Amino acid sequence: MTETVPALTTPISLSTYHQLSLTVESANIKNSGLFKPNPYLQVIIDDKISRRTEVIKSTLHPKWKEDLTVLVTPQSQLLFRLADYHSFRKDNVIGEKRVNLLKVLLYCNGKCDNVELIIDLMKTVSQENSSTVSGEVKAAELVVLLDGLRVDPSVLSQSREILGESTNSSGPLNDGVRARIRIRNNESAMRSIVRSQNLRPPPGPPPLSNGTLQHGGPSGTSGVSGAMSVSVAGGAAAAVDGGAGPSHAEPEPAASGLPVVYANPAEEPLPAGWEMRYDVYGRRYYVDHNTRSTSWERPQPLPPGWEVRRDARGRVYYVDHNTRTTTWQRPDTERLARFQHWRGERRHVVAQGNQRFLYPHPQPPHQPDSDHDLNATGSSGVAGTSNAVVPAAVAAAGAGAVAAPAAAGSAPAPDDSLGALPAGWERRVQPDGRVYYVNHKNRTTQWEDPRTQGQEMSALEEALPPGWEIRFTEEGTRYFVDHNTRTTTFQDPRPGAPKGPQGAYGVPRAYERSFRWKLSQFRYLCQSNALPSHIKITLSRQSLFEDSYHQIMRLPAYELRRRLYIIFRGEEGLDYGGVSREWFFLLSHEVLNPMYCLFEYANKNNYSLQINPASYVNPDHLLYFKFIGRFIAMALYHGRFIYSGFTMPFYKRMLNKKLTMKDIESIDPEFYNSLVWIKDNNIDECGLEMWFSVDFEVLGQVIHHELKPSGDKERVTETNKEQYLQLVTQWRMTRGIEEQTSAFLDGFNEVVPLEWLKYFDERELELMLCGMQEVDVDDWQRNTIYRHYTRTSKQVLWFWQFVRQMDNEKRARLLQFVTGTCRVPVGGFAELMGSNGPQRFCIEKVGKDTWLPRSHTCFNRLDLPPYKSYEQLCEKLNFAIEETEGFGQE
Amino acid sequence: MAATRRLQKELNDIRQSGLKSFRDIQVDESNILTWQGLIVPDNPPYNKGAFRIEINFPAEYPFKPPKISFKTKIYHPNIDEKGQVCLPIISAENWKPATKTDQVIQALVALVNDPEPEHPLRAELAEEFLKDRKKFTKNAEEFTKKHSEKRPTD
Repeated sequence: MTETVPALTTPISLSTYHQLSLTVESANIKNSGLFKPNPYLQVIIDDKISRRTEVIKSTLHPKWKEDLTVLVTPQSQLLFRLADYHSFRKDNVIGEKRVNLLKVLLYCNGKCDNVELIIDLMKTVSQENSSTVSGEVKAAELVVLLDGLRVDPSVLSQSREILGESTNSSGPLNDGVRARIRIRNNESAMRSIVRSQNLRPPPGPPPLSNGTLQHGGPSGTSGVSGAMSVSVAGGAAAAVDGGAGPSHAEPEPAASGLPVVYANPAEEPLPAGWEMRYDVYGRRYYVDHNTRSTSWERPQPLPPGWEVRRDARGRVYYVDHNTRTTTWQRPDTERLARFQHWRGERRHVVAQGNQRFLYPHPQPPHQPDSDHDLNATGSSGVAGTSNAVVPAAVAAAGAGAVAAPAAAGSAPAPDDSLGALPAGWERRVQPDGRVYYVNHKNRTTQWEDPRTQGQEMSALEEALPPGWEIRFTEEGTRYFVDHNTRTTTFQDPRPGAPKGPQGAYGVPRAYERSFRWKLSQFRYLCQSNALPSHIKITLSRQSLFEDSYHQIMRLPAYELRRRLYIIFRGEEGLDYGGVSREWFFLLSHEVLNPMYCLFEYANKNNYSLQINPASYVNPDHLLYFKFIGRFIAMALYHGRFIYSGFTMPFYKRMLNKKLTMKDIESIDPEFYNSLVWIKDNNIDECGLEMWFSVDFEVLGQVIHHELKPSGDKERVTETNKEQYLQLVTQWRMTRGIEEQTSAFLDGFNEVVPLEWLKYFDERELELMLCGMQEVDVDDWQRNTIYRHYTRTSKQVLWFWQFVRQMDNEKRARLLQFVTGTCRVPVGGFAELMGSNGPQRFCIEKVGKDTWLPRSHTCFNRLDLPPYKSYEQLCEKLNFAIEETEGFGQE
Repeated sequence: MAATRRLQKELNDIRQSGLKSFRDIQVDESNILTWQGLIVPDNPPYNKGAFRIEINFPAEYPFKPPKISFKTKIYHPNIDEKGQVCLPIISAENWKPATKTDQVIQALVALVNDPEPEHPLRAELAEEFLKDRKKFTKNAEEFTKKHSEKRPTD
């Protein structure tokens, strides 16, 4: 115990609080009835703070060996109360004794080092049953061990006056309390030696921290003892001793109605410095006095080779001497298992990276329309202009600052119907009268209006046939209403629609919708805003994350658009692209390190990442999300791929698209099913007892949220449930991750304006970020299962014929449509995962041939209606995978 | 808490309806997300005792189903050594927010009374149940006598 309780050296008085390690060892209870008691010991300090041991069932000789670390003053009164636990009625007191700590301290000359107390616990008995005059009998004998408390003897000398008696320091303490100093056994002596060796400076700073500050690991430890600051590190669910944090304040065991405890005798003893407590609700929780934090989970002892430390800011971290790494979260078996799994992926990472591809870039110039400005061949002059303009604007703005639109050269925007420009943007006019747009936030310029970028403008389109109208779904997908027949369709009714009319960019609309074209638009913007020269980023493979973080955050964001030159320390090799390709891939995998707690796999589906709501345990998490935002934008800007993509809802968030109920399905199908049930059924008669408020749990803490003002008072009914479902959907998709998402988007937007992404939908964004890979159709077909179809059904045969005729982009899109991601697991289709574990690609016969195919991404299932011909199947499937949403998912 | 009102109502309803097969319901007033109670089966070999169960409701109840575990050891093909039980009504696929806890309990009691060896959690017990019913009954009876709690007398 001593090795974790710091010795006190600060000036003290008799009312100063100290930590005392109190080990409740055992008791012997006098037999007094038919049944053996279920004993537990309660220690009450100064009639205020109470701690108790676990219950041991049915014994007269309980052995606890339980450590309770308590806060005491040298003159505290400790009441030891042994009680018999009953599930259903009030517990019986077996016996109790009050011990004056001061007397113990005087006895041992101020040094409570391994002092064993043997205490007689007394019971008051009613007169008729007893012949003793005092009315008290000895009911049990208790053995406890006091440790870790040292008080200056000079302070103690005052105390003799307080006690008003001369106490013989070697004499008996008082009636029925015997003390002796126990000699430490070899094991703990060994441990203290081991510890002192470990006190060398840590091999590295905590992984996610502000750098060099952390190097003085051990020095932080000594400064902690006096302060009562509360650390939130280590997954703290409740604050110790009056801090803010949990919904319930200082937990005290309920005086009556003790909680039902199913003591598990097989449980291992708590690690040093930990203590078990009960909150006001009778829930068991654990206090870590080493870190001054609490947890709902019973701590497991640190694995071999691990150590707890504290950095210069007083934050606790854990050192793994095996791997010479550090982490903020206490390692437990689950976390270590996830870490092992993550480490196991490493060797695939680089191999995977080499398999990814996209259309080669720089794009072979194409000429969409000879008289249009925005083509790549004509861009040299434009790019030159942009580059000439940008530095001027930048110089005026000053480094790093977000410039207010300069008065000179700026032109008032005539097109007010679109509303104000996004913050940080300015409209300017060239000497030749041509309008362009400056983004001061990250020093880019472009011809296109950021407000309409990537959008199609219907004004340029050919008129619709009479009686037709264009409308947009809630999600902004265009559809067509035929008032003549009172029908709707997503298919453009104009003759030769996909080829004929020209879109906003003056190229055929079908082409405009193609990924290649959108990509070339994006690449053009990147090229025209490129800065000359290059930046060097020097890193070591051992500290990839930290090194990358410091170098990327140190630079002004616009610098990150210079050509990258990555150097791995100690390795030769010039970066002509290969090294930086590797860096993007490795670092994107590193971001997932479960020890960092920043991202998590969504819903056991092993591929897509989402922000981990528990990331707040990392004190600097928002800085890291900003860094990752910059890094992801750099990947897009420099045309590199990352190892693992994000969830579709996350991409939609990047695109500022509205999230719908259907989006929940891919991340939490159980929750989604319940929402659908509420939507589809009349809820007035089923006693749902729902109100406009919701809860969720993160790290053992329940977080309550009102969906609207006074939501707690408004019941959900059949009439208002639409609003409820909308609000719940918004909440479900953003709960606990709003700040993190904003930080990510901020970082991203500094490097690549989010407006530049507007050409793309969420699936294209994933393709751009992760690249495509050759899809092994044989493997795919081999590992596909069928429901209500067989391997030889004609629709199934057509389906595979269709797949074999597609190019890689189409295949990737089909995969995305059905599985939610364009990536294939490392082990091929046999390892495809669904929301509940392994889930093979499945084709199910559903519906009629007039229906479109539908998908269930969490089950990797394609609902394929029994189409009448190959042509029909191709047409419907093509339509389904081209359109991103709005049908097929409703 | 959002789930509290719903659970309070369900608890009151269950207590008032006086289920014979689910007794001694204990809920800490301050933590309504955890219930305990005694399952009192009617059919042999389990009618010799009572079995304590714990129902844990998630914070997101009723969007997510509760979880049930046995605190009393039981010799049953559908309940494993750790007290885990597989109950279709609270599985992810079947859960509906309108499902009430008393329906869940009744489904559980029905499963205890009539094991479903077709969907076993303990295959060896399911096999014994199907192939040697006498032996199964004898084992289960002995196990019940040894481990189960006393049945309420009233």
